[in-house]
Amino acid sequence: MTQTAISVTGLTRRYHGHRALDQVSFEVEAGSIVGLLGRNGAGKTTLLRILAGQEFPSAGSVLIHGAPPTENEAVLRRMVFVREDQVYPDFKVRHALRIASWFYPNWSPELADALLADFELPPGRAIKKLSRGMRSALGIVIGMAARAEVTLFDEPYAGLDAVARQIFYDRLLAEYAEHPRTILLSTHLIDEAAGLLERVIVIDHGRVVLTADADDLRGVASAVSGPVLAVDEFTAGRVLWDRRRVASQASVVVVGALDEADRARARSLRLELSPLTLQQLVVHAAAQQANTADTLERTSA
Amino acid sequence: MRTWRDIARYHLVIPWLPLGLPWAILSVSFIVNLVIFAFVPQSYHEVMTGHGLVQVADAAPNYTGGVVSIYILVLVIGINSIGRSLPFGLALGVTRRSFYTGTALLGVALAAVDGLLLTGLQAIERATDGWGVNMHFFQVPYILDGPWYVTWLTSFVGLALLFVWGMWCGIVYRRWNLFGSMTFVAAQVTMVVAAVLILVWADAWSGVGHFFTGLTAAGLTGVLAALAVLLLAGGQATIRRATV
Repeated sequence: MTQTAISVTGLTRRYHGHRALDQVSFEVEAGSIVGLLGRNGAGKTTLLRILAGQEFPSAGSVLIHGAPPTENEAVLRRMVFVREDQVYPDFKVRHALRIASWFYPNWSPELADALLADFELPPGRAIKKLSRGMRSALGIVIGMAARAEVTLFDEPYAGLDAVARQIFYDRLLAEYAEHPRTILLSTHLIDEAAGLLERVIVIDHGRVVLTADADDLRGVASAVSGPVLAVDEFTAGRVLWDRRRVASQASVVVVGALDEADRARARSLRLELSPLTLQQLVVHAAAQQANTADTLERTSA
Repeated sequence: MRTWRDIARYHLVIPWLPLGLPWAILSVSFIVNLVIFAFVPQSYHEVMTGHGLVQVADAAPNYTGGVVSIYILVLVIGINSIGRSLPFGLALGVTRRSFYTGTALLGVALAAVDGLLLTGLQAIERATDGWGVNMHFFQVPYILDGPWYVTWLTSFVGLALLFVWGMWCGIVYRRWNLFGSMTFVAAQVTMVVAAVLILVWADAWSGVGHFFTGLTAAGLTGVLAALAVLLLAGGQATIRRATV
């Protein structure tokens, strides 16, 4: 039986007339890794802050394991949320880790030490003297070593180099396999994280524009390019998202899975076919706004 | 309970800051005063006696008021205790309520201990004739002048009051930034001014004078304690909707 870890219904957050979140609803199953994707300013951080009880909703409700998180000790103590722009008091890395260890019964000092070594994070360094990447690394160490049931990461690897990001992906998967938990992470480095995510939630301008299993999204849309006439012939009767034309060449995105016959036909028409990556899909989803979810549902059904 | 203890440990993770800094500043103030009074010549007045004019040392002690520095530092630590520490506390899944209670309990405990130390130092001051230079650093006329247990109680309540006031200021800054803090302070000043105006208008100064002269140090401590409770409730109400 699967359990719902996070349930969000009609969540709205207004700031001075502007809606940072607008009627957001979704659910996250316990024991899954979910990506919260969207552009800067789409509302990802606000959403995570409300989930963690750091911010208050204007309307709507949030339930974590069935209970509202706001000022709820029983719920909050099972969560960890270290933000990209986390404010720390004036102390050193080791102080932050020592304090975090007091608040989490499952805290793993061994894991914290291993991660510190992996990220080459000096425990004696004052946090305000850390580079952006190192601050991110500190957030990752705390978030992972806490082994909290619900782990929220906001842009966990902002400023980290490619090597450090790979360490994060590897460690996260290893940790998740050994100590399953619910992980919701926001990012805009979508393709890199794609292999990690079981589900994605895409938000844009404060609205959910797409929620889907990551597997279902692979190959759900493809880019087709070639001579205009051939492209038109191939795509006739299909749902199209994007259409560009340069001289006699056209390039379009077709929605819907393609079978072997389609591919053979494309080859004979001398068309180039390439499946859309998750990142490209998200870019299109954001552009298409609310239509996307419907379109995808219709085409994958 | 456990959470409160952990919040207290959180604030004490670099112990010298909340524990030592007020005393470091107080020591500087104390030493400067001690040096000054060691060099300032004793003042004399002349008295006509049967043996002619005789110089008699002035008996009035050298008051300094330097003990105020520890109260100011405790206020600053109170301000800092919420402003910079709350965001990381909430990141670790602590509720605002627990964070506030844990911090306030630590502040009150520190005030009790610091008050005891001040009382001890006052006893030494009395026993050594004002550190050998007739300096009254830890004795303040009327307020900190009575038996040791009243001195302790007054110091304790005074320090706790400033810590709690600092906490509230810190929370106000957290919620409404500089503009809000200035409004907050302006509101407090306005309240005091309004009270004074009302007293002037009602021609009630003599009544107020009687109230305070009739009030013992212990009575004053009671008034301060009531004020501290009021500030504590104000901070509690303000932190409820604080965001980070």
